[in-house]
Amino acid sequence: MKPKVAFFDFSSCEGCQLQIANLEEEILDLINIVDVVSFREVMKEHSDDYDIAFIEGSIMRPMDAARLREIRSRAKILVALGACATIGGINKIRNQWPPEDVKKEVYGDADLENNEYFDVFETKAINEVVPVDYYIHGCPINRDEFKHVVTSLALGKKPNIPNYPVCVECKKNENVCLFEQGKFCLGPITRAGCGAICPTNGSTCDGCRGLLKKPEVECVMEILERYDLTYEELKSRSLLYNYGRDECP
Amino acid sequence: MPKLEDVKIINKNEFNEFVNAIIKEGKYDVVGVKEKRERFVFDQLNTANELRLDYDVTILPPKKYFLPQIEKLMDYDLSKSFDVKKSDANVPRIIIGIHPYDIIAIEQMDKYYLDSQEDDFYKKRRENTIIIGTDIQNVSKYSFAASMDTHTTDSGFDLMLTDIGNKYAITIGSKKGKNLLQEYARVKDAKKSDLRKIEKKRNLIASQYMKKVDVKKEEWSKYLVANYNNTIWKIKSDKCLSCSSCTMVCPTCYCYNVKDEVSLNLKEGERFRTWDGCLLHDFTKIGSGEVFREDTTDRFRHRFYRKGNYLPERYGFVACVGCGRCGIACLPNIADPCNMINELSHFEKSDETNKFFIKQKTEIDEKGIIHIPRSATIKRIERLTSRETLFEIELDDKKSLGHNPGQFVEVSVLGVGEAPISVSSPPTEKPTFQIVVRKVGNVTSKLFTMKTGDKIGIRGPFGNGFDVKAMGGKNIIFVCAGLGVAPLRSLYLYVTDKKNRNKFKNIKILYGCKEPNEAMFLDEFKSLENLDDYECKLTVDTCPEGECWDGEIGLITTLFPKINLDKAASQDTMAVVVGPPVVYKFVIESLKTMGFPDENIYVSLERHMKCGVGKCGHCQINGIYVCKEGPVFQYSQIKNLPEAFE
Repeated sequence: MKPKVAFFDFSSCEGCQLQIANLEEEILDLINIVDVVSFREVMKEHSDDYDIAFIEGSIMRPMDAARLREIRSRAKILVALGACATIGGINKIRNQWPPEDVKKEVYGDADLENNEYFDVFETKAINEVVPVDYYIHGCPINRDEFKHVVTSLALGKKPNIPNYPVCVECKKNENVCLFEQGKFCLGPITRAGCGAICPTNGSTCDGCRGLLKKPEVECVMEILERYDLTYEELKSRSLLYNYGRDECP
Repeated sequence: MPKLEDVKIINKNEFNEFVNAIIKEGKYDVVGVKEKRERFVFDQLNTANELRLDYDVTILPPKKYFLPQIEKLMDYDLSKSFDVKKSDANVPRIIIGIHPYDIIAIEQMDKYYLDSQEDDFYKKRRENTIIIGTDIQNVSKYSFAASMDTHTTDSGFDLMLTDIGNKYAITIGSKKGKNLLQEYARVKDAKKSDLRKIEKKRNLIASQYMKKVDVKKEEWSKYLVANYNNTIWKIKSDKCLSCSSCTMVCPTCYCYNVKDEVSLNLKEGERFRTWDGCLLHDFTKIGSGEVFREDTTDRFRHRFYRKGNYLPERYGFVACVGCGRCGIACLPNIADPCNMINELSHFEKSDETNKFFIKQKTEIDEKGIIHIPRSATIKRIERLTSRETLFEIELDDKKSLGHNPGQFVEVSVLGVGEAPISVSSPPTEKPTFQIVVRKVGNVTSKLFTMKTGDKIGIRGPFGNGFDVKAMGGKNIIFVCAGLGVAPLRSLYLYVTDKKNRNKFKNIKILYGCKEPNEAMFLDEFKSLENLDDYECKLTVDTCPEGECWDGEIGLITTLFPKINLDKAASQDTMAVVVGPPVVYKFVIESLKTMGFPDENIYVSLERHMKCGVGKCGHCQINGIYVCKEGPVFQYSQIKNLPEAFE
């Protein structure tokens, strides 16, 4: 019996599901080992009978939370797919302001009273609403890591998600350290697993896989001092993906 | 200094032609030092013009060509029962421009990887590589190679270049190097004046090192031994990111992890090894989730001790060549051994150096195939408790395992990975052997889903078992706590075997576990009861209401007063203790009060034994490898190792 798999999306760009759709010919291998019963981005059919649920997106409204709880109650295994789901990601930038202010800013004086579609609360990563079994980090996710998680679950083993910083992979790629080039990279405190794709291609790490350390710790302060950077800069650099979070799930 | 007849002279443009001729022919993968964003790297050469022999230091050492970042060990097909193909993707390669300190690092790596348990992947890469070294032209400001005597070398290369103005002096270091010159280059013989130019050049380089270690390298060990508990480790490591950048860029860090990855069709799988670093939190993690170097301080200290004390005691060299790469890579600037040793030099030093190391000979008959498992079949499965299951295994080549009591095997489940598991049956039982498995990690969980007739892989037996000879003619007391009964069973069934029984005197077995439903092999203990000079006491920590238990109740140490053992006898008795870490402290304390000398106490320790052959570094307790010198130790050997009974 192949495990039944469903994909769901909440507030997100759906780019992580697109990464899976982009597996191209390998998607045939995927549907050989699992039964995809729901995947709105690539198929019309839908079923509520599934074993594994992949969740993309953040939870921003009570109605989303209710839907997520419903999914959790049906799924044996629940996997967070991508930064919006694993850490709240970009959607958490909104949490800098009270939800009501945000609503006002966007919709002005429109009458949204008693309209659940516009009823918002603070943005949440999905583990702030339901228990999550596994995390596939990143914005977008790394396809190889997705494959690793799927094959691991199919073989009955726990996926191996790195618990060390991006520097490990960056060093293996023999990159010139971005700090040496005068840039401010979040790699030293961000969870690896992306193959250090951004630093390898000349961009600084933005921390999309979540922070491994609280930014306040002494080792980080030491780097800021050595490279003449400020804590404010660090906070502002972490804002993109890690607003309000100091540790990764 | 080289001998005159070994030195040839070549014009610089002719050297370039020599390199281009080799590239053009295409027989070798030609690698050299190239620029990358104002730093330097070893990379494939398209033309000799890309060479930058004036470099200071490369980001990564040439280690990556002998122990690649990711190296496939084997392929397998999961749709077949046990179809494993050893990986063999090896190209002949020439590396141009290796500095002396990196050449010396490769020579150190040879000692490590080509010892009695030879790593054939490494060996092949070494044999297929020609090293063209170069004397240093520009000193890296982070390097302290001159303090380590590694800024020049007279060995370890096939050819060595020295820039002597508009020419290179080429020192021939091997037959391979000589043949290469003969085949591709036009060279002239050197004159005595050329030798003087080489010497002058080398002296000039030596004088350019601004960074110096205040302590001779032979003395590093003494300062480290004296300052194991110095607060400096904590002060420094508070700034450590645990990113292991220092080990990644190090030419003398060799630790690796082994992983299995399977394609999305669940058919093709591969096992590969990849660089690992002892600064990473999970480096010492075992299947059950326990981490043995949990504190950043312990991990930070471990690296320095490995370089300055553990490897020197084992191989006789300081495992740092002064390249300075870690100093460049470490963002908080705490990794540089030169700075660290200079700071330590203000503290006391010890005369003792081999405090954290024991020498023990291990013999291995698996030379050359240490990474590839043998096919084996599960012959029988017996559920022992809700958590433990016994597997009886037969090697498919029908050979017996040939283990000693106390040794372990690496059990492979293709697609999932490998786990070290003690052999639980005595060598007297042939040709099958037994393991007792507790479901804790990926491999053990997968084993629990397997059926009789399923195939698994076996490597080993590995490690140092119990010294059965030393126990001959003595009394033996077995102290088994919890799952510790599994490895001890290989010994107590051996000594109580009819053929062996008369070689040993009185035998006592003490066995304790938490609750009655966790007890294993009770029938076996019962069947031994008719032996002469045999006593067995069983205990549980607690017995929940309604459960049946006719043994004692209390911790395992409460059994000692209940057995007949006088103080005089303890001198003539061997105590063999195996259990979870917490048990050792209390049991050993009790044994010592009863008068047991430390030499008479044997223990078996559990660590993350990934490779089983003393290479991957995961199971290290201070200077020793548990997979090689252990898992069985005499208590006297390891009582001074601070990491042993943490």
